[in-house]
Amino acid sequence: MNDDDLNRQLQRLPMKYLHQLAKGRISRHFRLGKRRLIECMLGLPQEHKMALASSLANLSLPSRESVVSPATPQSPSPGKSPSPFYSKATARKSHHTQGPSSPPIQLPELLEGIGVPSPMPFVPDEWQREAVEALAHADVIVSVPTGSGKTFVAIEAIKQAMAANQTVIYTSPLKALSNTKYMEFSQRFGPDQVGILTGDRRDNIHAPLLIMTTEILRNVLYDAASGEIDLRLHTLGLVILDESQYLADPERGVVWEETLILCPSQTRLLLLSASIGNPQELAEWLTSIREIPCRLIRHTKRSVPLRGLYLHPTGQLVPLFEARDIQQKKGYRFHPETKRLFNEYEIKPFR
Amino acid sequence: MPPAIHPIDLVDILRRHHLTPAIVFLTSRRGCDEAIDAFINTSASVPASHSEAIRTFLEQFAKDFPSIANHPLIPVVQDYGVAAHHAGHLPSWKMAIEELMRQGLLDAVFATTTLAAGVDFPARTVVISQSSVRKSQDFCDLTVSEIQQLAGRGGRRGKDFVGFVVVTPSPFIDLDILGKGLTGQPESIDSQFVISYPMVLNLLRAHSVDQIEGLLAKSFAQFQLNQRVAVHQERLDDLHEQLQPYGPRECADWVAQWKVFDLARRRKAHRRPIVTNDSPYLTACLPFLTPGRLIGLAKGPAIILRQYRSRGTGTPMLSVLHGKGTVGECQAQRVVHVYDHVYDFHPTRTVPWCPPSTLHQFKQALAQLPAHPPTVPIFEANQEADDPLLAEVLTEEFSCPSCPSYTACKKDFSLASRLRLKEQQVTKTIQALRDGLWHRFQQKADVLHKFGYITAGFQLTPDGEWARMIRINHSLLITELIRMDAFSGIAPEMLAGVMASIAHDDDRPSSYMRLTPGLSSVLGKVRQVADSLRAYEPPPLLRSDVAALAEQWIGQPQLSWASLVKSTSMAEGDVYRLLARTLEFLSQIHTLKGTHPGLADTAHLAMGNMRREVLAELP
Repeated sequence: MNDDDLNRQLQRLPMKYLHQLAKGRISRHFRLGKRRLIECMLGLPQEHKMALASSLANLSLPSRESVVSPATPQSPSPGKSPSPFYSKATARKSHHTQGPSSPPIQLPELLEGIGVPSPMPFVPDEWQREAVEALAHADVIVSVPTGSGKTFVAIEAIKQAMAANQTVIYTSPLKALSNTKYMEFSQRFGPDQVGILTGDRRDNIHAPLLIMTTEILRNVLYDAASGEIDLRLHTLGLVILDESQYLADPERGVVWEETLILCPSQTRLLLLSASIGNPQELAEWLTSIREIPCRLIRHTKRSVPLRGLYLHPTGQLVPLFEARDIQQKKGYRFHPETKRLFNEYEIKPFR
Repeated sequence: MPPAIHPIDLVDILRRHHLTPAIVFLTSRRGCDEAIDAFINTSASVPASHSEAIRTFLEQFAKDFPSIANHPLIPVVQDYGVAAHHAGHLPSWKMAIEELMRQGLLDAVFATTTLAAGVDFPARTVVISQSSVRKSQDFCDLTVSEIQQLAGRGGRRGKDFVGFVVVTPSPFIDLDILGKGLTGQPESIDSQFVISYPMVLNLLRAHSVDQIEGLLAKSFAQFQLNQRVAVHQERLDDLHEQLQPYGPRECADWVAQWKVFDLARRRKAHRRPIVTNDSPYLTACLPFLTPGRLIGLAKGPAIILRQYRSRGTGTPMLSVLHGKGTVGECQAQRVVHVYDHVYDFHPTRTVPWCPPSTLHQFKQALAQLPAHPPTVPIFEANQEADDPLLAEVLTEEFSCPSCPSYTACKKDFSLASRLRLKEQQVTKTIQALRDGLWHRFQQKADVLHKFGYITAGFQLTPDGEWARMIRINHSLLITELIRMDAFSGIAPEMLAGVMASIAHDDDRPSSYMRLTPGLSSVLGKVRQVADSLRAYEPPPLLRSDVAALAEQWIGQPQLSWASLVKSTSMAEGDVYRLLARTLEFLSQIHTLKGTHPGLADTAHLAMGNMRREVLAELP
């Protein structure tokens, strides 16, 4: 691209984008006017000019019209900050863009396949089987996306432990979740097999499966350590800690740590957690403080694919991303239609 | 902020594209309730058969949980197939909604993001309309984990082929946060190890001090600290390597030695003189040129009335009385002689700088002066006067100036001392990281020792033995209150009231309720105690309205839940949680039956009265 071409293209750009291009290339570009800015850009060394031209080509513009007529107001409300879209997304875009991409998906294609699968026998996933099997010789941390079937692992593990005549304790962070699980497990294992402990109530505490909040388990372990206990801790074979990511809760996280530290050594631990960033670290820690190793089961793929949609306040429904299914760790690019509509919304939010 | 789209349009669009059932996450409880209210008297109703199914289910559910039988939201749920789900509702109502959702009978549930973790029901679609959430007074951006927790509710295994996340804008939304949240890697979790008083007591009951140190070392907190230690250790090793060439020289610790020497050498630099342009002679003169001094100018003798510096150039100036009786100004450097005579007078602040009578006296004195009065000898100060002296001291006290490695030391000192300083800092950091937890444990133990719960030898005292059974927030306050017999002979409802105000840590506004005089005096005392413990334990809010609420519920067994809720502006769910927490606190007091039978009985009575209607429904 020769200087004339570049000059013509730059002339057509609104100031906002010129500054965006000049950032990091021309010092104190924000003090310069349009003519001077373009002069400075054209005066850059050749290789810098090449880079400039390529970022000019990558620049994502709201629509063709606004490029052609620089008179288009950038933002009609002066007090409003510019759309986050162009200030951040475009700047970041360069490393989300890898090579030529497929054309953005269309709505009908995205909405394809909605429906209810015909009922079929439940086939456990590979990782679910793996987790249950690993419990035979190790503690297990399961870190998988929400809704991929952690409860199944818990149930299978409970079945296994109950078959071996062991006591199982299942803890959850919230009383409400305890109650839900109590009802669920009572239906599954029979009411006489399930007990629940709360701060003030102990129902059926000689049942093989006990449900409680983590605080209660910590208290039980305190009492067990000082030798005053009415629970059968020596037969305690399995402790399941649901929602273990609460370990990082500023107020209550310490309870999870205490529980894990004080847990009897013959007991297996099963930690069920939503996706967290450092499950490996957690596993290393558990391995370092307990006699048996700790096995980490993690995956990020959802069992039901998830797709993104953008719903404009006017009622238009468009795809959110360019790709169909939302995938982890692959970066993202918003669908051009979403960008356009959202920009419109940002400028006139209360239409 | 609520989403820009109207809830009816939203549900309508979701229904049209077969995206129901959906969970719509909103920021506030009020937003959820208003969204539901918007449906009333509109045509967005569900088919009659659908309504019928919901009705049958709710009737069935109400058999187990009578508290929801007459819930005011039942008609909306039945007619429009939408519901709200947030902490302001009773647990039983939330369970009913969750169960309806699991059975696929609802089209949309409006829920708050704050309780995303407590929402244990999936849907085909999740609607997100904001990128930030209110966390204790402040709006924070949603974290990646939180967004994935929300999005994770979309798509039911075995019931859906695909799940959907629908983003609909509201004011202040930032799409990038959501884009990153949906596709990014969730944040790492960090340990939040806090050492509490009950923890110290309970650990000391069962373990020796050495064992406890071991237990603390096993915590995830220490594990993560150790990782940081490793990083610092690397830096330290690196620094050691860099310090290698600067080992012992003539003296073993030459860096320290040189530092002292250097300081001594620069001793003069510590008192920097005020920079003036005065000549050395003038500087020497100035102390003598005081008011009343007799001086000789070129014109003849004069008496100084005041000394000052000119505002502009800072030149020292004098106001003088000349021999002929005029008062004038002259520069101090114009002074030719400084005579050895000073007249006594009272200076004034305005011209002529002295009382008129003095002026007259001075005039006469000047007239009678001898030709050559004795002068004051002026010695100019020698600028370099103390340098040889200092040099002598330095050579006497330090061997450095004559040391063979003088030049090497002088050259290396700045780098070596910087490295040395860094090394010390890193060593300190490592030490702090290693011992931090244990120190915090000791701090707590010291406080407990001060209050007499443990002995100096880390043994529990009899008070400590029972105090360790109180394992809740504000445990120190509660055990101190018990020890000072604040609760002796207290009525069950008052005990419950006090416990409720200690347990309640939410500052959502609620209406003021009337306190009984008895409860208000007890609360006053509790406030005093809590204030006196401020240094050791953050005091609870101790709100009197929640105390009154709990007192009413326990003191009036015939009071129905509905009328209790009507008497306050707190949401039903909040009242429930308040009482449930109070129940927990009371049950902790009940465990003290061995040592405080009277108090434990009172707590038991209060618990008995408390467990009725809604509070008896769930374990």
